[in-house]
Amino acid sequence: MIQEARARVTPGIFADMADAAPAAAPDKESAEAALAFLTEMSPDLRGAAILGPEGEVLAATGEGPERWREDAAALFAAADGAEDVPVEQVHIATEQGEVFAIRNAGLAAVTVTERFALASLMLFDMRSTLRQLASPNFGTPGGTEPRRDD
Amino acid sequence: MQKPHRVLLDRVSVYADEAAAFMRRRRVARRPFARLYYPHGRSADHAQDSRSGAELFVAAGRLIEVAGKREKG
Repeated sequence: MIQEARARVTPGIFADMADAAPAAAPDKESAEAALAFLTEMSPDLRGAAILGPEGEVLAATGEGPERWREDAAALFAAADGAEDVPVEQVHIATEQGEVFAIRNAGLAAVTVTERFALASLMLFDMRSTLRQLASPNFGTPGGTEPRRDD
Repeated sequence: MQKPHRVLLDRVSVYADEAAAFMRRRRVARRPFARLYYPHGRSADHAQDSRSGAELFVAAGRLIEVAGKREKG
C-alpha cells in the first residue's frame, strides 16, 4: 500500500524538481564551454555532443553536428523503443569503442570513449555537466560553471 | 635462505602476474553489451542478437564512426 502510494507520488515529485527541465535551453557558447570541460575531464573520450530539449546539437566535438543529431536521435529512439519506456542512460560497449548517452535536466549528452572506460565515472561526469549547464547561473561570475584549479 | 631483496623481487613479480591475469580476465569477460538504465535505478541488458539489441549496436556503431579516432595524446 505504502509502496503503491510512493510509486504514484514519486514521479510527480521528480517532475517538479529543477532537474526535470531547464527554464530555457542553454546557449551554444555555454554548451561549448561545458563540452570542453567534459572533454578535459575524461581522458578516454573520443568525441561527444550535447543536445538541447528538441534534440538539436548545442555543442559537438569534431565536425558534422548534423550527423551527431541524427545518430544520437537514432540511438535514443532505439533505446526508448526497446521497452517502450524512455531511458535515462545508455551504455553500449563494442569492440570499436563505448557509447554513453544520458538525459538530464531536459538536455542530453552522448559520448564515445575508448574501450574499457570507467562507466560510472563517465556517466557521473556527463550528468553533472548537464546539470550545471541547465543551471540558470551557469557561466556567470560566482555561478555553477566548473572551477579549474590551474 | 633467500636474500631479502630476492624475496621482495619475487613478491613484486607475483603481484605483477596477478595484475596481468586480472586484466586478461577483464578483457575476456567484457564482451560487447548494450545496457539501458531506466528511472528508479532499473537497468536491462539487450543481447546483440535480439531485435532491440541489434538496433542499439547499429546506432552505437554510427556514433563511434562520427566520433572518429582518438585525437588526444
